[in-house]
Amino acid sequence: MAKQKPSRLDQLLYLLMYPLNWLEERTSAPGLSGIVGGVKYFLFRKVPGDISWGTTLGSAALTAFIVQAVTGVILAMYYKPDPNSAYESIRHITDDLWAGWLVRGMHRWGASVFIILLFLHMGRVFLYGAYKYPRELNWIIGVLILVLGMLEGFFGYLLPWDQTAYWATVVGVNLQATGPFVGPFLGDVLRGGHEIGPDTLARFYSLHMLVLPGALAGLILLHLWLVVRIGVTSPPWSPYEAGRPQPGPPPAERKGLVTPAPRNGRGAPVPRSVRKR
Amino acid sequence: MNRRQEERRAQYARYKRDVKTRGKPFFPYAMFHDTVMSLLVVCVIVALAVIWKYTASEGTTDADSGWLGKLYDEKADPGTTNFVPRPDWYFYFLFYLLRIFKWPDSVILGTVGIPTIAVLLLLALPFIDISPERRPLRRPVAMTAAVLTIITMGVLTYKGATAKEPLAAENLVLVPKWAQKQGFANNPTAVDGAKIFAQVGCMNCHTYEGAGSSNLGAPDLTTIGKTSNRGVAGFADYVSDPSKFGNNVMPHFQDLGADNLRKLGTFLQSSGTCSPKTDTCPPAGGP
Repeated sequence: MAKQKPSRLDQLLYLLMYPLNWLEERTSAPGLSGIVGGVKYFLFRKVPGDISWGTTLGSAALTAFIVQAVTGVILAMYYKPDPNSAYESIRHITDDLWAGWLVRGMHRWGASVFIILLFLHMGRVFLYGAYKYPRELNWIIGVLILVLGMLEGFFGYLLPWDQTAYWATVVGVNLQATGPFVGPFLGDVLRGGHEIGPDTLARFYSLHMLVLPGALAGLILLHLWLVVRIGVTSPPWSPYEAGRPQPGPPPAERKGLVTPAPRNGRGAPVPRSVRKR
Repeated sequence: MNRRQEERRAQYARYKRDVKTRGKPFFPYAMFHDTVMSLLVVCVIVALAVIWKYTASEGTTDADSGWLGKLYDEKADPGTTNFVPRPDWYFYFLFYLLRIFKWPDSVILGTVGIPTIAVLLLLALPFIDISPERRPLRRPVAMTAAVLTIITMGVLTYKGATAKEPLAAENLVLVPKWAQKQGFANNPTAVDGAKIFAQVGCMNCHTYEGAGSSNLGAPDLTTIGKTSNRGVAGFADYVSDPSKFGNNVMPHFQDLGADNLRKLGTFLQSSGTCSPKTDTCPPAGGP
């Protein structure tokens, strides 16, 4: 076969794909795909055919987390973590800055939405029995995300430095201080002394915008990685549930030689009205 | 290797095979649902922010509240103690637990005990519920436990949200009644102390003659002069900085000033030690 000059289209495609190929070559190892391969796998991996809206709650919670991160970064550009100016800086953000009220409002209400979605997501996982083998570890990571998410709420609550914030935190820290052995010590560490003051505010700010979001982001990535690796569960009541033993399909079907007739759990054919998916 | 392990491994292998043969690609099918849901979440958050802003008016009083509450509160003032602490709504259930478990004996149960046990139970769930069954109707124990948990959290959250704290003005009306009942009506210092007690927020946590609320399950102070008997100066010292006495739950009140603290101490020492019949109190001082 004579060597042909590549067509214009091929040349153009090569040029377009060059950056992706460059990236893939420099992030892959023998037997392991790189970033581009990873993204391709993420996008085109197979998921059970019967999943639907129930399985969107996790990504909904992730969206709420991203909203919190973006609005939080903007707020951090104007907020001053000091008792003398914290309250005034919040008022400045709300009253003077363009759309400042929107960013603050989204951050404030996004926190509640995030917590609600975490609970709904957890409820869905429980209902589907999706915490069972082999997904135990991901359930544990999820519980840690919930606990850290609620701590985010606790530490963020003081930052506006208003009466509600201040007195709720006085009580909140005192409550932790009732704990056995380490309680009083923990109380003093959180406050940065015996009283709630400038050190407390700086400490809460640092925990709220550096430590906890960092930990949360890490746990969320791990959570997602496991979801992609292990796979999401079918609704347990679905006639197509992936993994359920289907009594009596002929061996030819099992090998994928013929298209399997849809069956429900007891082996009876599924009515046509349910088949459409 | 036992049979259960073998079974669940086989089930997971079946799952992987089923997904491979009968599944659909994440993009665009599942991703479509995820994208719609995410857009909905962002819209809800923006809508909440807009409703919050446009139904509330500028200002810090309760009258300025919109559908979603006030835009601002007063600036934090560590000097005023007449303020009812309120956490964010998702801590209401904890907030209410503290009314159930009384200080000091069982407060640890409410603050640390129950939350810790709850988190540990959640973490341990996949190791407690080890059957491979996933269909809800065939998991009666798990489903009952879940429904009971949801109801408990719902009731505690509702109770925490609707719990009312007494207002300073409502407590102040009670002072003459206390003075008469306790028998310190002839002691103006004690009466002044009672007024301070009614107004600075003591009654957000303590009860007295059946009034006030055990917000954090703090003890009833009706007969504190008899049961604790620290003397006027002793009580003043205690209230000024309870942590010096090993009490890390109660806030500090040294901002009230020495004079007010002395009045408060007189009131506390008079509680339960005066004679209502003769309206006389034992001489001030301590043990």
